[in-house]
Amino acid sequence: MDALNLIAAVQALQPDAKVREQTDQPTLIVPAHALVALARQLRDDPTLRFDLLETHTAVDWLDEDRFELLYLLASVPLGHHLTLSVSIDRDEPVVPTLCEVYPIAQWLEREVYDMFGILYDNHPDLRRLFLEDDWVGFPLRKDYEDDFMLERPE
Amino acid sequence: MSVHVSTLQARISGESTASSPLSTEEYFVNMGPQHPSTHGVLRLVLRLDGETVREVVPVLGYIHRGIEKMGEHGNYRQFVHLVDRMDYLSALANNWAVTMVVEKAAKMETTERIQAIRTLVCELQRIQSHLLWWGVFGMDLGGFTPFFYGLREREQICDIFEKTIGARLTMNYIQPGGVMFDIHPEFVKDVKAFISYLKPKLVEYDALVTDNVIIQERIRGIGKLSAERAIALGATGPVLRASGVAHDLRKSEPYGVYSQLDFDVPVGKDGDCWDRYWVRMEEMRQSVRMIEQLIDNIPEGKTFMVKPAAKIKVPAGVHYSHLETARGILGVLLVSDGKEAPYRIHCRTPNFNNLWCIGEMATGGRMGDLVAMLSSIDIVVPDIDR
Amino acid sequence: MGVITDKLPGVLEPVPGGSVLLTAVDQLINWSRSNSLWPLTFGTSCCAIEVMMATGAARHDLARFGAEVARPSPRQADLLVIAGTIVKRMAPRLRTLYEQMAEPRYVMATGSCAICGGPFMYHSYTTVRGADEIIPVDVYVPGCPPRPEAFFYGLLTLQKMIKEGESIRHPGERRRPVLAALPEGMTLDDIRKEMQDLLSHDANVNMAAAVAEGARYSSELKDF
Repeated sequence: MDALNLIAAVQALQPDAKVREQTDQPTLIVPAHALVALARQLRDDPTLRFDLLETHTAVDWLDEDRFELLYLLASVPLGHHLTLSVSIDRDEPVVPTLCEVYPIAQWLEREVYDMFGILYDNHPDLRRLFLEDDWVGFPLRKDYEDDFMLERPE
Repeated sequence: MSVHVSTLQARISGESTASSPLSTEEYFVNMGPQHPSTHGVLRLVLRLDGETVREVVPVLGYIHRGIEKMGEHGNYRQFVHLVDRMDYLSALANNWAVTMVVEKAAKMETTERIQAIRTLVCELQRIQSHLLWWGVFGMDLGGFTPFFYGLREREQICDIFEKTIGARLTMNYIQPGGVMFDIHPEFVKDVKAFISYLKPKLVEYDALVTDNVIIQERIRGIGKLSAERAIALGATGPVLRASGVAHDLRKSEPYGVYSQLDFDVPVGKDGDCWDRYWVRMEEMRQSVRMIEQLIDNIPEGKTFMVKPAAKIKVPAGVHYSHLETARGILGVLLVSDGKEAPYRIHCRTPNFNNLWCIGEMATGGRMGDLVAMLSSIDIVVPDIDR
Repeated sequence: MGVITDKLPGVLEPVPGGSVLLTAVDQLINWSRSNSLWPLTFGTSCCAIEVMMATGAARHDLARFGAEVARPSPRQADLLVIAGTIVKRMAPRLRTLYEQMAEPRYVMATGSCAICGGPFMYHSYTTVRGADEIIPVDVYVPGCPPRPEAFFYGLLTLQKMIKEGESIRHPGERRRPVLAALPEGMTLDDIRKEMQDLLSHDANVNMAAAVAEGARYSSELKDF
């Protein structure tokens, strides 16, 4: 399915979804509360069949005071791609988990929690993935400070 | 709303689930991070019931270097050499993945020659990676001979790379806008000599290991992974193809000059260790086929389109592209704000997703088979941790 | 004279207090130690492929230097080759491995990451900038990753160091750490030739010199 048809098909499922500009793949901005239901529909719809969560990560937009969560979906049988973008408040970073729809999300979300401190509602095993449990701070946040880190001399 | 942040300690100190007085008590065994068959510093905490594996809890981070954070502090060219050190056995494919997303986003043009060279060296490295895997797989199963055979052939590929690229392992060769150097004058001759050397060796490998009854009995039927679960767990590469899903980006979304090449995608049936073994052996043959088609047809043209020191700027936005390394799909997500350094750069690495299949494969299996399963996934730990 | 002193090129040395000490055996012990280093199979990242695997395989053949008996358990190993990046989470484990090795133990840091953090020195929140922040290192082998030949050069440097270094008279006293960088302008053929020379030289322990050294030493002791 090409990009325009794909966006139209998803918007039929979720009318609140808006197109995100400045991307090279079809990307839709989805409200956080609608994420799980939409993902399940995308996975089960016979014309869409997004069965692979290729990756999930976050972007810290410090100036706009929000985190943008990106879910890159792909369809193995049909070969098309779609990105879902969810914006959440930086002060209260909670989103529902996608574990039940895509099992791999369990670990991808743990990585995002480890790096950005985003909390996943209903996650079965939310804990740090790469860093020790007693690590302070979330390294990939833009305002992360660590005395240990060295700046490269100019 | 129920957000609960747990710890490793809490995770592995559960109550015993022994139900009847006759059942044995379950216990945890720690495997790694210093263990000869975890291929680096992977740590697995195993919940065992006698010899039966009840649960595998991988613990990561023993080689987490923060490459994504470092990427935000350098320009695009400086990020290329960092990804060399992620999956060092597919260093060229890693270079290419970053290059691809930067070129696509910055709309840089390349020549046919650049694409042909990239394809050629990547396929050579795929053979190199699979040879090393084959050797180590044999060693993990207790036979030392494959290790010597695999590494012997690998050295020849290293020599070819050394002549053209100057490095044996971490290449930094494929750059945004081209390749670092043109191929060595003897490259074509060397590759041809190597291919004619390797082909009978692959037959020899089959006689030595593939057709070996002991190996077949050892790896057939263990570590099964169904196609649905493989996709649900995000597995890619030979792990996914062994489960019967013919998903190969070289075929489905051709990049480089793969669209001009004639090759098959080997697919397994049951998704057990044997299928994963067979798929990789077959992929080596397919790579040989591709190199044979390409080696005499490298088009003429420039090998670098921009000056090596030229500043690259990428228009603001989210860019993503992916390719097929020896282990699966490597995707690079690039979020740019229009400056010289990426605002955020994320690598979707094949090993990260493939690793979680071990839980699916090993649960209910025998402790002694775990090493064979782990080895058949072909894990490179720095690629998981980044 | 007992069996040991008949067989070994040593001399019995009277020590105030009545016990005896074998002195010139030092050389023999150091020679055998240096030529049968048992490395620990320890590799964290890229360097492990070059330094642990490629060297052990047929082309480069670590066995020529008597160091091919790789042991997975630190208690059976006496050479720790730090092949790869050490991050904060791994650091205590590395220290434990080192502590578990029996004395005398030797440490080689191979590759830029183990020397100083290498390409991950700046802007990394986990990478330890040099393995010598955690454990003492005897020989540094630069490269990213070092070629197998460079690793051999480091190994031979370590062997030389062991031979010249510690004695049972002064246990624990070592020479200062060495940077085993290949000299500039050196070609691969030079390295191979030097290795051959060293190998042929090291194949024979100089018994005559050892005996002479022992005799000289005991004559010095007579004054004592």
